[in-house]
Amino acid sequence: MLKRHFILLLAAALALPASAADLLTTVKARGTLKVALEGTYPPFNYKEKNGELAGYDVDVAKLLAAKLGLKVEFVSSEWASILAGLAANKYDVIISQVGINPKREQAFDFSQPYIYSMPQLIVRNNETAVYKTLADLKGKKLGVGQGSVYEQQAKAVPGVEVRSYAAAPDTMSDLASGRIDAALNDSLMSAYLLKISRLPIKAGAQVGAVERMGIPFKKGNPEFKQALNKALADAAADGSLKAISLKWFGTDVSKAP
Amino acid sequence: MDWLELLREAAPVMLRGAGYTVLFALAAMLGGLLIGFPVAVLRLLPYRWLSWPAGVYVSLMRGTPLLVQMFVIYYGLPSVGIEFTPVTAGILALSLNSGAFLSESLRGAIGAISKGQWAASFSLGLGYWSTLYYVVLPQALRVAVPAMSNTLISLIKDTSLVSVITLTELMLSTKEVIATTFQPLQLYLAAAAIYWALSLLFEALQRRMEQRLNRAHHSR
Repeated sequence: MLKRHFILLLAAALALPASAADLLTTVKARGTLKVALEGTYPPFNYKEKNGELAGYDVDVAKLLAAKLGLKVEFVSSEWASILAGLAANKYDVIISQVGINPKREQAFDFSQPYIYSMPQLIVRNNETAVYKTLADLKGKKLGVGQGSVYEQQAKAVPGVEVRSYAAAPDTMSDLASGRIDAALNDSLMSAYLLKISRLPIKAGAQVGAVERMGIPFKKGNPEFKQALNKALADAAADGSLKAISLKWFGTDVSKAP
Repeated sequence: MDWLELLREAAPVMLRGAGYTVLFALAAMLGGLLIGFPVAVLRLLPYRWLSWPAGVYVSLMRGTPLLVQMFVIYYGLPSVGIEFTPVTAGILALSLNSGAFLSESLRGAIGAISKGQWAASFSLGLGYWSTLYYVVLPQALRVAVPAMSNTLISLIKDTSLVSVITLTELMLSTKEVIATTFQPLQLYLAAAAIYWALSLLFEALQRRMEQRLNRAHHSR
């Protein structure tokens, strides 16, 4: 879903040479796993009224840390700099809907995917045109997240007028007021946006391929990678990962569709 | 009153953010002044090897985006072994940036004091530094205060950029509330009101400074 990654090149440029000790040794010695997330991306990770972090990612982080025998320490970061922070060793992992793609895999190692989704269009309730693919939006205005993979996907289609927004709420209100004709976002995020925004907008067609979200960490940590993937596999096997998914989405999104 | 309810809900988070904003603004103002004064003086000295580096510093800080400066200080410097906590990095970046602007306001003001003041002071037997401190600076500050206040008030709003180095100041905490309530307009307006209130405090401070520095110029 969040595939914004204009900062990736910088992150890669800043990446340090792998340190001698495996990340697993480091976190075991420290006793805590430092997890970065946005904190402004419900229902995946956001702050409750009491200031506590909540959401799918938060629950997954707590679950995995428990399986690794560690405590969790959360760090909130803006999306724009979240990958750079990982490169600069400010935290151990990012659990914040980071999409797995080849460019990112050059800079970081990823866990197995822990959530799957699809790009989906959102349109106004009174929309009469039917957009089945991005190409149908030729000559129309399409709202996307700044630096997101959707932005790149939309810009790759000739003739679509792409508008980039810093935040999803702004996109939705511009869609409702008619400044754009459709918005492109993640299918899981869309369901949530539609429910909470109370605007005259509805879900449109799902367009494009399945997206896989993983947990990135610095390269050169084979033991950590193995331990993390084992924790994920255990969580999937004992049903605890599925339970988190049902709690937040009503369906199991932790398995490939 | 739907939005009163909203503001009551948002208040604890946003006020905590505002606290950080005030902390960063005050610390960076102090840091900026501590940097700005010596830099202004260095640039006025007749020694090229002192004025040139100061000039480069000012040019670099004024000529590059503050966002990039923060990014380099927090995410870039660790790769050469210099590591700061987010708070230190934020205050450092804001201080270095505002210091450059403040030094220019001061340099201009010092330059505006007529050569006659220097000459008169020298003829009374005061040295360079005494002349600067007792004769020129008190007059220059009077000229510089409005321009320096500009920089300091901008600084209050520039603190919002520390959100890129994982600090939840007023702007980021506002975005956090917007993410769950979907009321961007009301909440951004509330944030703007807080920024304005903070600026008003500094404007009041500026007026007092001006009155004080203008004592000698009051018509009787």
